Amino acid sequence: MSADVQLENVSVRFGDFTAVRDASLTIEGGEFFSFLGPSGCGKTTLLRTISGFQEPSEGRVLIGGRDMAGIEANRRPTALIFQNLALFPLMSVWENIAFALEVRGESKQQRLKRADELLELVALPGQGNKKVDELSGGQKQRVAVARALCAEPEVLLLDEPLSALDLKLRQHMRTELRAIQQRAGITFIYITHDQGEALTMSDRVAVMRQGMIDQVSDSTTVYDHPETAFVASFVGGNNAFSGRLTATNGTEATIDTPDGTFSARTSGHSALAVGDQSIVFVRPESVFFTQASEQGNLVDVTLVSQEFEGHFWHLVLETSGGRAVRMSVMNDGAPARFLPGEKLTIGFSAANAIVLPKGELAAE
Amino acid sequence: MRAQTVQRLSMGFYVLLFFGYLFGPLIIMSATAFNSSSFPSVSPWDCVSGEWFKVLVKDDKLMTGLSNSLMIGAGVILAAVPIGLAGALVLSQLQRRARSIVYTITISPILVPGVVLGISTLIFWERIDRVVLGTEFFYDGFFLTIIGQSTFISAYTMLIFLARLQRFDTGLEEAALDLGATRVQVFRHILLPFLKPAIASAAVLAFLASFENYNTTVFTIVSESTLTTVLASKVRYGINPSISALAVIIIALTLLAALVHEQFKKHEARQKLKSEAIASGKEKSGSSPKGRPMRVPVMAMTTMAFVAMLGSVWMARAYDVDQCKVEVAHEKKKRSEGLTRQRIAEARARREQEKSLEEGSDALKANQAGRQYQNIFAPTNLGQQVDSGSGDDGASGAEAAVEANQAGRQYQNIFAPTNLGQQVDSASEND
Amino acid sequence: MISWLKQFSSRNGVGLSVYLLGTVTLWILVMIILPQLLMLDFSFRHNWHHMDPAKMGGPEDVYTLVNYHFLLYGSPNNPDPFNVVDVTVFFRTIIAAVFVTIFDLAICYPIAYYLAQVAKGARTRFMVLALIVPFWVNEILRAFAFRILFGEEGTLNAILLALGILNEPIDFIREDVALYAGLGYAYILLMIFPLYNAIESLDKNQIEAARDLGSSWLRIHRRVVIPFAKPGITSGCTMVFMLTAGALALPQIIGGPSSLWFTQIIYQWFNTGSNWPRGSAYAIVLLVVCIAFVFLVMRIFKVRIGEIGR
Repeated sequence: MSADVQLENVSVRFGDFTAVRDASLTIEGGEFFSFLGPSGCGKTTLLRTISGFQEPSEGRVLIGGRDMAGIEANRRPTALIFQNLALFPLMSVWENIAFALEVRGESKQQRLKRADELLELVALPGQGNKKVDELSGGQKQRVAVARALCAEPEVLLLDEPLSALDLKLRQHMRTELRAIQQRAGITFIYITHDQGEALTMSDRVAVMRQGMIDQVSDSTTVYDHPETAFVASFVGGNNAFSGRLTATNGTEATIDTPDGTFSARTSGHSALAVGDQSIVFVRPESVFFTQASEQGNLVDVTLVSQEFEGHFWHLVLETSGGRAVRMSVMNDGAPARFLPGEKLTIGFSAANAIVLPKGELAAE
Repeated sequence: MRAQTVQRLSMGFYVLLFFGYLFGPLIIMSATAFNSSSFPSVSPWDCVSGEWFKVLVKDDKLMTGLSNSLMIGAGVILAAVPIGLAGALVLSQLQRRARSIVYTITISPILVPGVVLGISTLIFWERIDRVVLGTEFFYDGFFLTIIGQSTFISAYTMLIFLARLQRFDTGLEEAALDLGATRVQVFRHILLPFLKPAIASAAVLAFLASFENYNTTVFTIVSESTLTTVLASKVRYGINPSISALAVIIIALTLLAALVHEQFKKHEARQKLKSEAIASGKEKSGSSPKGRPMRVPVMAMTTMAFVAMLGSVWMARAYDVDQCKVEVAHEKKKRSEGLTRQRIAEARARREQEKSLEEGSDALKANQAGRQYQNIFAPTNLGQQVDSGSGDDGASGAEAAVEANQAGRQYQNIFAPTNLGQQVDSASEND
Repeated sequence: MISWLKQFSSRNGVGLSVYLLGTVTLWILVMIILPQLLMLDFSFRHNWHHMDPAKMGGPEDVYTLVNYHFLLYGSPNNPDPFNVVDVTVFFRTIIAAVFVTIFDLAICYPIAYYLAQVAKGARTRFMVLALIVPFWVNEILRAFAFRILFGEEGTLNAILLALGILNEPIDFIREDVALYAGLGYAYILLMIFPLYNAIESLDKNQIEAARDLGSSWLRIHRRVVIPFAKPGITSGCTMVFMLTAGALALPQIIGGPSSLWFTQIIYQWFNTGSNWPRGSAYAIVLLVVCIAFVFLVMRIFKVRIGEIGR
């Protein structure tokens, strides 16, 4: 059973501080939905508001069409997986998992049975009798998920559950969680600051900044078609060239920047007029080496550094104006080709560049 | 380097001195428990004896006090633990200002002198009885003592709970609520199990603090008694080593408790290590080896107990206390007899000395008397007799005079035939 | 207030709230505050309670200062200008308590420092245990141990006689030596542990840094350790002072005829004197002095009350 979640103009204030500002969106039942944003953007507050630990100062939260105002956390059809998991240290694994049933007065037999079922679901068969501190990080994660699922919620809320795990495990768990969600078929609301997680796991992503929701779209759209400068710079690395719009025809525009004049596509979301301050965004992986004699968007740069990350070579180049440009070249097995200090020319196609109204950029 | 060594040595010496001050009185007191002399002492040492333990057990007043102390201790646990728990839970939910006010008020009984607590409790409940109820219901040693002691012991238990609560992850409460638990269920399933160790140590502390309390108890106990009040009253009636025996028992129990506690802590630490090992995959869960480290102190203790048992059995057979006491008594008697004999001998020597002095003077007197008698038949000498007799000595002049008189009188009548019988009588009268 | 109550009961559930708030209220009111107030009230009354119970609550049951007056000036028949016995005893108790406190501080500080900073691991645990064990023995029994040691026929005398240091036994009890040795001994634990806790939380690096900069040990203690340990020192001193001034068992058991303790006078008023109001007055005086002392020490060492906790 899964339910949809509706936020209608939800604002949450603590004294003078506004943590969430007029948030409105609808999360579909059965969807894997992520809130993505830097620390302090209000995503945790929003999650706690949905789960019932925080009353909104304004607006309504509806789950499955029912207004949740005045309904306490223990009576909402939600289950929350805390950042530090909050597994009960004095209980065994199966007791943790079956706690929701214990609270309802189910018999021990029933509880054991359900615990075993859920342990199978989260790929931890037979671990029921262990103590919590005998589990590894990844195992604890899965127990937390199982415990939440046992409450048979209509909405499962996850508060940055993977942040304490190492990289390999995190990647593994991403796939696991997604698989569990599809098997269980309930609505997952996931918050994180890691866009890799958000993009790989979610059906849709909401990017948050300082209490406000900048954009809600699916992963590819958020990445390829950001609607604000913040989204463009936060979700994945992005090169930003600030300048002034000199011409536009609605789908394409020309922007004059200190580093050159570029043509880029418009986002279609915000109407830009000639003379507007705007930023051209180009992904590092869309930048390629070219000759100065070629046509199109070109920049003369000097190579500053290159880092080998395994998958990619990450190069940092500098324009004559002193602006840093990042470039990612896929590792094809060849050793580094250029030396720091070399003068090169890079280019990018207009289709791969997007121009957006000037706005706040994500912190480096 | 030398300065550091000197420093370390002097520190070590000081530490030893300090612990000597700390343990000395107790060790000596324990030793006196085994000395059969009737005042606790280490010297003179009479006989090794366990009799004072028997005296201890037979002391009815003390035993009554002991059982009262135990009952009151149990009552204090039942009062102070829930009160302290309530206090800690309320405090943890208060804001800064209210919290510090309530904290100060609830901690104050610890700072107040015990006598003041006892007095105020006594007065308060006596007043309630008299004015409100008109009965003597609350004016009862047990009730008053439990209330009076709990007033400050609850503060102790509250501190224990506060310390434990500080380490509580409130996220656990939220998690439980989120899974559908009611407040009461959260309290029962999450909070209380977490507080269990604190409840245990609070109970132990409450009991011990109640058991050894005197200042408050002596006012609130009214007509009853506790172990401490009985002990304190003994100072008036004189003490015997049975209290040393009590001290030995308490010290032994304390040491035992300390050892058990240490073992328990070691066990816990080992459990924790085991859990961590399982988590990192180095060990399989479910295995619980007895572990060699556990055996050594257990073996040491059992060996010691065994040796102690054997030793006491052997001593009991080869060494009869009563026999020893008889011997000691005998020794004492001999010594005192020896003293007496000595004294008698001395006295006799002295008397002989005096006597020889006396005899010397006797002989002198006899001579004088004899000279006097030489002139006795000279009728004209009769009167002189007395004079010369009395003239010779100064000091014993009177005596000599009396003796001479008597002697004269005897011999005066000697030739009167009818006086023969009298002579003998008067002669024998004189000696 | 009402809204706070509502919030509280919704946070904790109705049943639990009743238990929590009810218990704490009962404790604070019925066990802590009211009895003290009543005792204060009692101290200002005549002793009708004993002398003529019928007069209680009647028109003659007025407030009076007669009990406090007695402490200062004695009975109306007192030939002296003031109550020499009681007042002397009072001051002697307080002054002796101060000296015992200073004595305890002096002998416990090195041990606490050693335990907190110098001793390591197993030795620390052992020493802590060794410190605690003597104090689990009843204070009455400890007092008797001192009586055995210091009596005229006692062990100390026996040793001194045997060693030839003395020709005749000294009655230590009569000379008050026993009492002071016993008092110094009795509350050592309560001085050591606050000191130990305070010194233990001092970062060892600070001391090492001071050494490294060439400071002498005396200066290190004076400028680094002691200022840091102030809350512990205050805590320890207050507890020892209060317990010594309020001690009853020790003076009763090992006190000589010339070392009457103020608490013994209080006890007498309740026991043989049957004058509860007067005893209450004396107890109030003792309480006030103790509290005043605590505040004085806190002011001197600039420590707040919240920091005095175990």
